[in-house]
Amino acid sequence: MSTSVSEPQAAQAIRITDVCKSYGDYPVLKNINAEVVRGEVVVICGPSGSGKSTLIRTVNRLEEINSGGISFEGQDIHAPMRSSELNKLRSRIGFVFQSFNLFPHLSVVDNVSLSPIRVKGVPANVAHEKALKLLDRVGLADKANSYPGQLSGGQQQRVAIARALAMEPPVMLFDEPTSALDPEMVGEVLSVMKSLAAEGMTMLCVTHEMGFARDVADRIWFIDAGEILETAPPEEFFKNPRHPRAQRFLADLRH
Amino acid sequence: MIHDFLTIIQDYWLLLLIGQYPNGPLGGLANTLILSALAIALAFPVSILMALARLSTWRLLRWPMTALVYVTRGVPLLMLILWCYFVIPLWTGADVPSFLIMLVTLVIYQGAFLSEVVRAGIVSLGQGQMDAARALGHGYMGAMRFIILPQALYNMIPSMISTFVSTIKDTTLGYVINVPDLTFAASQVNNQLLTQPFQVFLILAVVYYILCWSLTYVANSVERRIARRRAGPRNARLPAEATPLKTITEQL
Ligand SMILES: Nc1ncnc2c1ncn2[C@@H]1O[C@H](COP(=O)(O)OP(=O)(O)O)[C@@H](O)[C@H]1O
Ligand SMILES: [Mg+2]
Repeated sequence: MSTSVSEPQAAQAIRITDVCKSYGDYPVLKNINAEVVRGEVVVICGPSGSGKSTLIRTVNRLEEINSGGISFEGQDIHAPMRSSELNKLRSRIGFVFQSFNLFPHLSVVDNVSLSPIRVKGVPANVAHEKALKLLDRVGLADKANSYPGQLSGGQQQRVAIARALAMEPPVMLFDEPTSALDPEMVGEVLSVMKSLAAEGMTMLCVTHEMGFARDVADRIWFIDAGEILETAPPEEFFKNPRHPRAQRFLADLRH
Repeated sequence: MIHDFLTIIQDYWLLLLIGQYPNGPLGGLANTLILSALAIALAFPVSILMALARLSTWRLLRWPMTALVYVTRGVPLLMLILWCYFVIPLWTGADVPSFLIMLVTLVIYQGAFLSEVVRAGIVSLGQGQMDAARALGHGYMGAMRFIILPQALYNMIPSMISTFVSTIKDTTLGYVINVPDLTFAASQVNNQLLTQPFQVFLILAVVYYILCWSLTYVANSVERRIARRRAGPRNARLPAEATPLKTITEQL
């Protein structure tokens, strides 16, 4: 997918402009510029501590930024606004955490239907039905009445994806969704993500799963020390990474 | 000796149970239980509000509440009772019944203690739950109501019961402002008998002991059950979940 500047605004899902952020004196994000086009799957990769989580969390403003702007469907998410307005924007951006963060006091189906009911005002029976459909889609229809503590990590993460999808977001963000999983459970989560991508969901994923990146991503952002050093389609990125640090990163991964 | 106990109980059980009622105000054990139950029932919501105020990013709310909690926890309950006893009638200009004064004092005192438990319960959930709630579009209050507090309060049930136990013990201090409770009734009995303080106050102690011990027993078994439930079969806990809520780290 091409992403030239001349493309109409409507094609942009997320546009990150001159974003800087530091923790105290320590700069975590240094002048980030990037964009995600509608329907595009972007994989963010880079060494640990490079600022991937921080960057993806600024997109739905779980983290504040020091300067710059991030627009989501044309609206600046970091502009001063009422919290109700921000909540509304956030509810349209799905977020999947490394540590699942399911609500342990609620059953699986309630985890998925809580926010449509309480945030969007969907009637409870409609939300439940929808939740069951989503659970079926991630292969967990039989776990609807279980509690998160009774599920494996892979199952929990699939519930977390269903929970995010229940808000019908046009964009999904993933922060290392498989990093906390036992190796044998990585596949089941990735295949859910693959099917989402195949349906045309706009996705921004931090992941170390290079197989997923190669097969599914439209573009890779390589980030190191708070800077995006390279953005390229996966074939190009994996075959000839241009930046020396990207080359070293890929070499390290292969070992 | 045993005979003494039996006669005292036989002669005065009604006074010990309900005080002068129906010829006078309700008192005795009944009043002790009512006072304790009301105190805890009111201290519970008050403690939640206090905890939320202490976690607030709004200083105008956080600072006075923090001060109130520190002062309340740093002062003997008896001081607090005497303060309320003299200050409340001054403020309201009315003749406030001692029962009400004791109730207000207990609510503030236990509210302050419980608020620390609530606060710890909220903080120990970690930042992840709040992040997940916010990412789904819940506001701060909605996240608290549907996601954070139900978990924090459930974990708090044992502390609630032990607070209830200490509230029952604390009601005895109402004696100094003439709250007609069980202790007050026992001292009335003692004043009538004059010669058997040991027997009278031993009965009093035994009643309190049974009451508090059985509640402690309940608290312990509830605590075990909650610990079992929380452990869960395969509840993978990640280190990320253990990082305290941001609002707290800022404060500490
Ligand atoms: N709350 C914080 N306070 C201070 N430093 C932080 C905080 N969160 C992250 N950092 C630092 O910011 C850098 C980027 O972190 P992060 O975005 O989590 O990296 P990644 O997800 O790429 O591993 C790291 O050096 C980390 O130590
Ligand atoms: Mg990270």
